Amino acid sequence: MTEAILNGKLTPPVRRSDGVIIPFDKELIVKSLLKETQLVKTFYGGSPMNEEDAKKIADEVEEDIRSMKLHFLSGPLIRELVSVKLLEHGFDKQRNVYTRVGMPLYDVYAIDNSEGYEAKENANLQPNPETFHKKKADFLSKESYLLMLPSNVADAHLRGDIHIHDLEYWGTRPFCQDWDLRYFFYYGLMPDGTGTHTSVAGPAKHAEVAMLHAAKVLGAAQTNFAGGQGFFNFTVFMAPYLMDLDDRKIHQLAQMFLYEMTQLYVARGGQPVFSSIQIESGVPKVWQEAPVVSHGKVWKDMRYGDLEGKVHAFTNALLDEYMKGDAVGKMFNFPKPEVVQRTRYWNDKNFEDIMIKSAQLSAKFGSTYYDNMIPVYRGGEEGVSCFQCCAYAFAEDGRSESFKRKIFFEDGAHFSMGGMQVVTLNMPRLAYKSGGDEAQLLEILRDTMGVAKEALLLKHRLMKHQFDRGLVPFASQRPKGAPPAVDIDNLSHTIGFAGMNEMVEHMTGYQLHEDQSAQRLALKALIEMDKVRKDYSAETGMKFSIARTPAESSAQRFAVADMIHYTKFAKELVKGDLEAALPRYRESRDVPIYYTNGAHVNVAAQVPIYERLAIEQRFFPILKGGDIFHIWLGEVNPDPDALLKLNRKLATESWVGYWSHTKDITMCMGCGYVGGGLNSRCPVCGGESLKHYSRITGYYQDVSSWNAAKRQELKERYRVRISE
Amino acid sequence: MKPSKVRVFAPEILPLSLCDYLGEPACVIFFSGCNYDCGYCQNWRLKVMSKEHLVDIEKIKDSIMKNRLITACKVTGGEPLLQLEALSELGRYVKSRGLKFGIDTNGSLPDPLKLLLPTLDLVSIDIKTTLNEDEYRKITGAGEPCVDAIRRSLEIVISSNAYTDARMVIIPGYNDSVEVVRSVSGSLRSLGYEEKARRGMASLTLVEFVPENAHSEEFRGLKNPSAENLRSLALASGLPNIRITHRIAGFYVEIESKSNNGMEG
Repeated sequence: MTEAILNGKLTPPVRRSDGVIIPFDKELIVKSLLKETQLVKTFYGGSPMNEEDAKKIADEVEEDIRSMKLHFLSGPLIRELVSVKLLEHGFDKQRNVYTRVGMPLYDVYAIDNSEGYEAKENANLQPNPETFHKKKADFLSKESYLLMLPSNVADAHLRGDIHIHDLEYWGTRPFCQDWDLRYFFYYGLMPDGTGTHTSVAGPAKHAEVAMLHAAKVLGAAQTNFAGGQGFFNFTVFMAPYLMDLDDRKIHQLAQMFLYEMTQLYVARGGQPVFSSIQIESGVPKVWQEAPVVSHGKVWKDMRYGDLEGKVHAFTNALLDEYMKGDAVGKMFNFPKPEVVQRTRYWNDKNFEDIMIKSAQLSAKFGSTYYDNMIPVYRGGEEGVSCFQCCAYAFAEDGRSESFKRKIFFEDGAHFSMGGMQVVTLNMPRLAYKSGGDEAQLLEILRDTMGVAKEALLLKHRLMKHQFDRGLVPFASQRPKGAPPAVDIDNLSHTIGFAGMNEMVEHMTGYQLHEDQSAQRLALKALIEMDKVRKDYSAETGMKFSIARTPAESSAQRFAVADMIHYTKFAKELVKGDLEAALPRYRESRDVPIYYTNGAHVNVAAQVPIYERLAIEQRFFPILKGGDIFHIWLGEVNPDPDALLKLNRKLATESWVGYWSHTKDITMCMGCGYVGGGLNSRCPVCGGESLKHYSRITGYYQDVSSWNAAKRQELKERYRVRISE
Repeated sequence: MKPSKVRVFAPEILPLSLCDYLGEPACVIFFSGCNYDCGYCQNWRLKVMSKEHLVDIEKIKDSIMKNRLITACKVTGGEPLLQLEALSELGRYVKSRGLKFGIDTNGSLPDPLKLLLPTLDLVSIDIKTTLNEDEYRKITGAGEPCVDAIRRSLEIVISSNAYTDARMVIIPGYNDSVEVVRSVSGSLRSLGYEEKARRGMASLTLVEFVPENAHSEEFRGLKNPSAENLRSLALASGLPNIRITHRIAGFYVEIESKSNNGMEG
């Protein structure tokens, strides 16, 4: 028989990927073509194959197989042969849906060894068995979604005009969510969203249970969402459980919560939940008269305003525990503490302790985030709003009728703030395409936003479809007929951007910090983007927002893509170590070049911080979808009292809505030393086995897990202080 | 105010520091030129007033005017009191902006210090070691260190309204003994330090010596003192309001409070 096969008289048997060996049968090709190319209709509205064409393809493939004189055949091999044949006959779309997705064996092996594919895409992922599994799934998913997307959108992503974030979750998960704890304190907890695969807990009656439920809500939510999970108004909603407890007990609970959130090591391929909590020192105005919701009921005789003392005590306890760190003195990098800034907190002596502790925490670990409600554009006194995860912001103003119902939890009405999807624009590329003409630039900007919008609308449709069928079950849960936990129509569709600095540099010859003409152009572009955004909202009735993208990986991806497609321009503009990148960028994306995030000033620019503030703060009122002001601390030991006064100035005198102080930290694996600065030897024991921590874009992580561009950026950050 | 023609040897400005002016976010201006030659000095590149360090004082004022993040301004060096005219003018300007004004000094120039006092809110004054010519010579490298001048400077500052931070950089093998710290404490006590410290207007800070950035090879070869070391010296001093600054312990840590506030379980 072997001889007959080798002579091309017989076709060899086929090893199929479902685990059997069968004789070759070309009818199976015809059948599969007829069945699978139906997806052409689903994805692109085109026509599937007819039987006659399918037969012709199958005949030709059979002929080819005979002439190749192969020893054996496999299902995947036949599929590739069919795919080639489809392309030969001009059935491109049919090929798109018929092809296999997957990865070379070499790459699979590399993943298991913590190398290769996106090994440094997300610094929050530690190499471990779950991670390796996730990487393979990610690869498969990303490749499939690129095939399912309309080709103009997919190509825009692949070329690097835009970046579709968390593409691996495109068809399955919305982006991020800030949860309303009252929902779970009233209805109880079903981690699977249905109560069929997990036990169903009634509403918490005890403080410990309330803390654990809160932690589990975020853990469960992470299985349904691609991005960060948080609680807005966390300390206020938790307060009713702390009523009869003394300070010691409250500290114990706060500590327990921080450990839960950093040890629930189960999210998305073995990583802690990417989490944040909004920390109010007291009870904000809009919540003062709202009835307390806890212990499974809406209290008739108790308002949140009555619990201000407990809110204050809990906030104190949380900050104390953050300050202590874990058992080896390492910081708690999650949940990110978002400490709210209000005029009242700064002026009322009673809250001075919180302002001081926030500053002390910044001075020790750099971990505090400041969520500043004072600038008018935040609408923080009349509405609700929060910054979360990677500094995206969500808000609801207090004008609508439903707002009031949500405040009063009428029939379970509650807040659901979050993001559906982020698509980021490669701003420098717009400049390259414009030929240096400003009108042209704005035109291309609108066009590219149009592609982003197309992607966002598609995502919305996809998610709504999943949601309605109960395929995002934690988000769509409706315990006891309650309104769904997540209001899928209220999620924000975010258009992000990276490299504004390099865009204006190409257009004007100056970086943002170098000339006013550069700043004016950036502002002009942002105003245009905001105008287009408003049009989109008006036209679709959906939430659209503009945000600076954290760009942990897209700032690098865009720079590399432009080195490939616009070499002449890009090599003048990319930041980082171009020389080191040049020999490698065509093979690997992980090279030390990047564009500047959002509309930030070049991190290496030698400009005083007050000038950087003057430039960057002007963008905040437009970037209601999120932005952050970074203060890179150079001091090994910043003075908390000085930091406190700096915070007061930023809170009350600037337009910055969100900032943090980043302190680089060295931890010695030998003696356990934890201290400021990036040391190459331990200052205590002289050991060289050290871990370095710094803020990557919106959170703290071990520097060794960063991608090459971010490590380069860390080297180049111009600090508040540079030691001589 | 009419623009000034004064020029000053001031090669560097640090726009925002959170560890140079007690409790205030401050800008720090570095004047060059120093009459000492300390081997442990971290700013030794500023020892000599060289021509390229010269700037218009208006330029410095301008950067202070634009800086909306600070509440204070500190001049360090070098030895800032060597350029008294510029320093006084800068002091008046800083005060006119509603900011606090402070200097670092090695204490060897009591007369200029006295003249400047009305504009000063903070004087950080070095005490290198026991106030004795020989000991001082070892550290400062100055032929005539004039410890009498140091004593006079301390007296002037302690009896003034300016906050007085006496700073002692602890260098192993030079001044890290209990005897030296007690001798320094005794001098401070005799000059009225304790009374002022009790009013919260004076402190003694023991500062970690950082060998990596030291001027002379000899000092670069030394080890930094441990935080424990600083802590026990501080306790031995017996003075009120004594603090340490160490990369492990933190910035300006009060020693008394730290010892009561032991670790929780």
